[in-house]
Amino acid sequence: MILEHPIPPFLQWIGPAALNWAMSVLALAALAVIVCFVVLLVAKGAKQASHTFAVGVSDAIKDVRLFSWKRCFAMASLAIRESIRKKVVVVCVVFLVLLMFAGWFLDPESKDPARLCASFVYQSTTYLVLLLALFLSSLSLPNDFKSKTIYTIVTKPIRSSEIVLGRIIGVASVGSIILVLMAICSYFFVANTLNHTHVLDDREDLTKLTDEDPSTLPPDTVIAKGYTRLANGHKHMVEKHANGEIIVFEENKHTHDVVEIKEGDLVRYQVSVARGALQAKSPKYGSIKFRNADSFEHERGINVGEEWAYRSYIAGGTDEAVIWTFDSITPNKFPDGLPVEMTISVYRTYMADIEKTVMGALYVRNPVTGLTAETHVFNSEKYTVKALNIPRVIDKSKVKSKPWLVKKMGEKETFEASPDLELPQKEEYDLFEDFVVDGKLEIWLQCLDSQQYFGAAEPDLYLREKDANVFLNFLKGYLGVWQQMLIVVSFGVLFSTFLSGPVAMASTFGIIIAGFCKTLFLEIAHLQALGGGPIESLNRLVTHENMMVDLPNTISTHLGQAFDAIASGLLSVIGLALPSFSDYNYYADCVANGYDIPLNSICVHLVTTFSFVVTIFVFAFVILRNREVAKQ
Amino acid sequence: MVNESDVIVETKNLTKTYRDFWGRQKVRALKALDLEIRRGEIFGLLGPNGSGKTTTIKLLLGLLFPTSGQVNILGRPASDVAKNERLGYLPEESYLYRFLNAEETLDFYGRLFNIPASVRRQRVAQLIQLVGLESAKKRQLREYSKGMTRRIGLAQALINDPDLILLDEPTSGLDPIGTRNMKDLILQLKERGKTIIMSSHLLGDVQDVCDRVGILYQGELKELGRVEDLLKIVEETEFRVSGLSEETKKKIEQLVKDDPKAEMVFCGNPTTSLEGLFHDIIAESEARPGLRVRGGDSAK
Repeated sequence: MILEHPIPPFLQWIGPAALNWAMSVLALAALAVIVCFVVLLVAKGAKQASHTFAVGVSDAIKDVRLFSWKRCFAMASLAIRESIRKKVVVVCVVFLVLLMFAGWFLDPESKDPARLCASFVYQSTTYLVLLLALFLSSLSLPNDFKSKTIYTIVTKPIRSSEIVLGRIIGVASVGSIILVLMAICSYFFVANTLNHTHVLDDREDLTKLTDEDPSTLPPDTVIAKGYTRLANGHKHMVEKHANGEIIVFEENKHTHDVVEIKEGDLVRYQVSVARGALQAKSPKYGSIKFRNADSFEHERGINVGEEWAYRSYIAGGTDEAVIWTFDSITPNKFPDGLPVEMTISVYRTYMADIEKTVMGALYVRNPVTGLTAETHVFNSEKYTVKALNIPRVIDKSKVKSKPWLVKKMGEKETFEASPDLELPQKEEYDLFEDFVVDGKLEIWLQCLDSQQYFGAAEPDLYLREKDANVFLNFLKGYLGVWQQMLIVVSFGVLFSTFLSGPVAMASTFGIIIAGFCKTLFLEIAHLQALGGGPIESLNRLVTHENMMVDLPNTISTHLGQAFDAIASGLLSVIGLALPSFSDYNYYADCVANGYDIPLNSICVHLVTTFSFVVTIFVFAFVILRNREVAKQ
Repeated sequence: MVNESDVIVETKNLTKTYRDFWGRQKVRALKALDLEIRRGEIFGLLGPNGSGKTTTIKLLLGLLFPTSGQVNILGRPASDVAKNERLGYLPEESYLYRFLNAEETLDFYGRLFNIPASVRRQRVAQLIQLVGLESAKKRQLREYSKGMTRRIGLAQALINDPDLILLDEPTSGLDPIGTRNMKDLILQLKERGKTIIMSSHLLGDVQDVCDRVGILYQGELKELGRVEDLLKIVEETEFRVSGLSEETKKKIEQLVKDDPKAEMVFCGNPTTSLEGLFHDIIAESEARPGLRVRGGDSAK
C-alpha cells in the first residue's frame, strides 16, 4: 500500500501538534477579539465598548463554568427525536437500494474484487453520510430560528454552549447510528459478493500427469493438474501432489481449500468458500535507508528520472542495496520465522526478453556484526505483493563468509576497522540468536541483473504480524467516515449559528469541497498552482491563454497578480484551518488493500478530528452567545 | 413607599432601534421606556400592532439587546441566563416543536431546567391536567388546534413553577370559553403570588385581569396606572337613582336635592370602557405626538 505521508508515532506527534494547534487557536481567538472590540468601539464608543466587552467575556466564562451536561443531552436527544420523526432513516433505505443494484455496476471479473467492493461501499457511505450530516447540521438551528422555537429554548436557563454542543452531539449521534447500520449492511454485502466456490471434477477438470502409484513418488511430485470451473469470472489452477495435498493457486487475490472425498472408486472434491479475499494484515514497518555505490548509507537511492519521487532506486549487479531496519523482533512474535511481504518497482534500462523477470535477492543481516545470509532469490513482479518467509533456521551455505558493510555518513573509519568482531562459525544459524540484536534486524534487498533497477519506499517491505479480525477492521474503516461526518456536523452547526439555512448549507458544502481538495487549495493560496492565483487564472480563462505562457505585460495583469498576492495570505490562513478530508481515505484504503488499520493512526486522526470539533464548538458558542435571537 | 425588593422588573430609558444590514435606522420600536413592575401584580401592556409591546417583552427576556437603557429582571440584567430559572414565557404564537407530543414537550422543557425525572413526571401530569389536555397528551403537536397549542404553550411556561410569567397575547386564537379559562388561570396564578406581565390588544381581557396597565403607541409609553384609576372620568358626575317618577327625571339635576323621598344610590365618577380610553389615547397621540404619561404611578 502506498503511504506517501506516513503517520508518525502518536507520542512523537502529539507534542508539536498540540503546540501548533494552541498557537493557531490563540491567533484566531486574538483576531476575533480585536475585530469584536473594534466593531463595538465604532458602534458604542470607548466606555460603552469596554463595559460591553467586559460583561461579554465575564458572561462567556460564566457560561462555561455553569455548563450542564444534562441540558446538553436534552438538546441532543431532541435532535435525535426530530431526525427519527422526520424519517431521516430513509437514507438507510437509499443505501440498501444502492447495494441491491450495485451488482449491476461492479465488474465481476475484477482482479481485486475485495478492493472494488470495499471502495464502493466506503465511497457510497461517505457521500450519503456527509450529505445527511450537511443537511441535518446546517438546517437544524436555522429552522429553530425560522419557526421561532428558539424563543422557547433561550428563555429557559440553557446556555449557548449547551445548545451548540447539544446540536453537534445530537446530529452526530443520528449520523453515527445510521453509519453503524450502513457498516453492518456493507460488510454483509461485501462478504456475500466475495463469497463463492468452484466446481472441481476429478475426471473432467484434472489431467493425470503420471500413472505411477503416488506412494512410490516423492511427496512433492505433481501427479495431476488442471483448473477449477469458472465462478465469479475466474478459475484457479489446481495441482494435486503425490502426498495427497491439493494446491489451489491464488487468483483474484484469494484461494480455496479443497477436501478430497473418496466414495469407492469415485473421487469427489469439495471446494471451500474463498479464503483470504478480505484480509486484515498487520504490517510491521521498518525504517529504510539505501547503500549506494559509494558504500555509504543514504536516505535515498538513485533517481531514475521518475517525476514521482515516492520510490528510490538501486542499480542491479552492484553492491547497492535497500536496507530496512526492524525493531522489536522477538521469537514470541514470530515463532515460525519472519513472514515478509514486499512490493518492488522494477525499472528496466533495456527490455531484453520481456517474459523474463528481473532477478532479486533478499538477505538478513545482523546490524552489529554485519553477519549476512541470503534467504531468497526471486523473480520480481512489478507492483505485485510477493510473500516470502524468512526461516528461523538458516543453513551455513546461505551465510556470507565476510560481514557486509555499510559506512555511516560522516564516519571516516569503516566498519572493517573494528578488530574485535568475529563472526560465529556454525552448521546452522538461528535467526534470532545470530542475526537479531536487541530486537533489531536488517533486511537487505538487491537487484541481481546488471543495468536493471529495483525501486522501493519504506512501506514496500514489511513483516506480517498476526492478522487482525476482518469484521472489526471493516468496522474500523468506518471510523474515517465517522470522523469526516463529525467535522462536517461541527462546521454545519457553526455556520447555522449566524447564517440562514441554505447559506449555512452552501458554506458547509464549500468546506467539504475545499477540504477534499486541500492540497490544491494550498497550492493556489501559495501561488504555486499552474496558471497563477485566482484572478490570474480567471484572466487566462477569459483570454484563452494556456497555463504555461507568460501573460502580456499590461496593467490589468499586474493588478490581477497584485490582488492574488494579497489574497494569498487570506487563502493561506483559510487553507490551514481547513480539515483535510482526503486524509481520512486512509481508512478505506487500508481495508480495501487488506491491511489492519493501526491504532497509532486512529489515535492521531481522532485527536486531529476532536481538535477541529473543539475549536469549531468554541467559535460557534461565542457567535450564538452574542447573537440577537429575535432580530428580524 | 414601595420596597425596592418588591420591584421585580425595572427598565430605565429602555430604547430599541431596528437597523438594516448597513446599520441604517429602520424603525425606533421603543423609546425611552421607564417601567417598574412589582411582585404579585398583573401588569398589562396594551397597544395596537407595532406599538412596541412584543419588543418590550423580548427586551425583558434578553431575546433582543437594547440600543440604549437598562433592563433589570428578577434582580439580574436581561442578558443573564440565570434569570430564566424563575421565569416563564408564553410567546405570541406557541413556538413549539410540532413533532413532539404534549408529554414529550413538557418533559423536554423540564429537562432544560434540570428538574429531576421523578419531579418532572409529576409536574408534567399536573400541568397537562391544568390545561385540560389529558385526552390529547400522546398526540403530536402538529395535530393540535390553535387553542390546544396555546394551552400546551402555557403549560411549558409554567413547567418550572416560575415567579414571573410573561404572556404575549395569551388569549389570541382562543374561543370564548378558552379565553375565559385562560383569564381564570391568570387570576389563579396571581392568587398563588405569581407576577404576570401580559401584552394584548384585546382590551376586554386586559381590563378583566390586570391590576395595572401601560399603554404603548409607536414605541412610547402613553399611559400607565391602575386600571380603575385610568378608566375614571373626573369631569363628569354620574347619578344612579331609584324610584324616580318621569316628571322628576326631567328635572333631576335640579330636584334631586329638593326631593326628600328620593334616595341617592350612587353619585360619583362614571367609567368608560377600556376600549374607549384606548381609542381616545390613540386619537390624541395622532394629533399631538410625544410622550404622554397621565396618572403617573398609581399602584400605591
